[in-house]
Amino acid sequence: MASLSLSFHKHSLPSLLPRQSPKALSSSHNLVILPKSSHSQFYSVKLSSSSSVSLPSSNSSSRMTFIFAKVNKGGVPPSFTLKDQEGRNVTLSKFKGKPVVVYFYPADETPGCTKQACAFRDSYEKFKKAGAEVVGISGDDPSSHKAFAKKYRLPFTLLSDEGNKVRKEWGVPADLFGTLPGRQTYVLDKNGVVQLIYNNQFQPEKHIDETLKLLQSI
Amino acid sequence: MSILSQPQYNPLPKSLLNTAHHHQCLRIRIYCSTTTAAAAATTTTATATKPKYNSQHHLVMAPTPPPQITTPPLPPPPSPTNQQRVMLDDPTLKSTWSHRAWLATGCTTVAVSLLKCVTGAVDSHTWQEPILAGLAGYILADLGSGVYHWAIDNYGDASTPVFGSQIEAFQGHHKYPWTITRRQFANNLHALARVITFTVLPVDLAFNDPVLHGFVALCSGCIMFSQQFHAWAHSTKSRLPQPVVALQDAGVLVSRLQHADHHRPPYNNNYCIVSGVWNRVLDEYKVFEMLEMVVFFKLGVRPRSWSEPNSEWIQEETQTEIPLLK
Repeated sequence: MASLSLSFHKHSLPSLLPRQSPKALSSSHNLVILPKSSHSQFYSVKLSSSSSVSLPSSNSSSRMTFIFAKVNKGGVPPSFTLKDQEGRNVTLSKFKGKPVVVYFYPADETPGCTKQACAFRDSYEKFKKAGAEVVGISGDDPSSHKAFAKKYRLPFTLLSDEGNKVRKEWGVPADLFGTLPGRQTYVLDKNGVVQLIYNNQFQPEKHIDETLKLLQSI
Repeated sequence: MSILSQPQYNPLPKSLLNTAHHHQCLRIRIYCSTTTAAAAATTTTATATKPKYNSQHHLVMAPTPPPQITTPPLPPPPSPTNQQRVMLDDPTLKSTWSHRAWLATGCTTVAVSLLKCVTGAVDSHTWQEPILAGLAGYILADLGSGVYHWAIDNYGDASTPVFGSQIEAFQGHHKYPWTITRRQFANNLHALARVITFTVLPVDLAFNDPVLHGFVALCSGCIMFSQQFHAWAHSTKSRLPQPVVALQDAGVLVSRLQHADHHRPPYNNNYCIVSGVWNRVLDEYKVFEMLEMVVFFKLGVRPRSWSEPNSEWIQEETQTEIPLLK
């Protein structure tokens, strides 16, 4: 059962991540399993416990690979390797041994994302003091990230999730019936376990407050 | 601001003293201007010999002759800069007969709708529903004005079909906001009046329901006059009729303060210009930001308000008390 904290009235929207019926699968498909509660909220959803996942019945003659598409609190998210703003490959495992804040945002040079990036920048010393790294991920290419980071003097890493593959793997819910990429932040502890998931599309600065609050308590 | 020097004072016949003083006061009032060093020096000298009055308000000169005040000739009133003069004389600010014709047709269609509402309400003895419908129309007009204003401010340009001239006008308005107060009445309203004519006329011809006409009359009337409310929101309190100021202060018409926020960077709020009642809700819940994000992700088009203000947006002239030339 998820506990929710809300600051304004919410618009509860179903996630539009693709759902596949298990019966329709062929042997070469990867099954994407989604729990029932994949909601995105406009204003402040903090998920503090995991949802249950039901597995389909398997066909003995088919070979299936199960991908758990949602990252939950207490779980270890799937690793990724993405390019940063300098074009270098960066893997999630690079940050093991220290807390890391992974924030998914819609796009560079949009008002909310700029506010969020600048808020992370302005509080970066506090994150460093807590021993944490900050990593931003969006679907923009490395050159866009480079320009964005340079313009706003962002001291942290921005990763290019072109095609939004990692976003889908982690189960970041979309907003407004799938028209807007969601804004969701994960805090991973030094063991790589998710301790906080915070979603808030239109109050980007709150992501910094919530993540710092948690980092100062772990 | 300083009052420019008074001229040399000579004793006059009693019958003419009041008149002379009255003219003197008028002259001082008209020629108020920004302070210059020369004027300041002259003012200091001039105020030393302020005339005195007896109980009947007749000017009484001191027995000893007052010191002669020799002052430089009055500087001419502040003339507008060349650009301001060109803008004040700009023929595009004046009403043409075409503007007046469209305004007349727009007003006629709204008036017919209102008349149908009133006569229908009288005939059917129902007042509550038409009045409520009118109120709904007034409130919706404010929302409509905001959405249209947001779209025009952020998307398209002069070459956009149908809306190009409006977009260009709104961009010009951001650069020179005060010129809207210099547009003549029909010039300011004719574009909206044309739209209202085409949309309300079919309703006038096809329907007689007083509730429908209550909504249509108020909604369309407020939309048509929204540019006038907009112009009043750019004017100064001293230049507005008292009833208009009262309506602005009461929140019935968009206030000058609220609309001024729209003309400050990042130019992305307070878009509604009828009453402004929707502005707080739309800005607090970031409705326009949400729409901008949707348009960006679906169509790849960035709104103008996302970019750094460029020269087209930045207000070039602050409003000054430019003397009315006509």
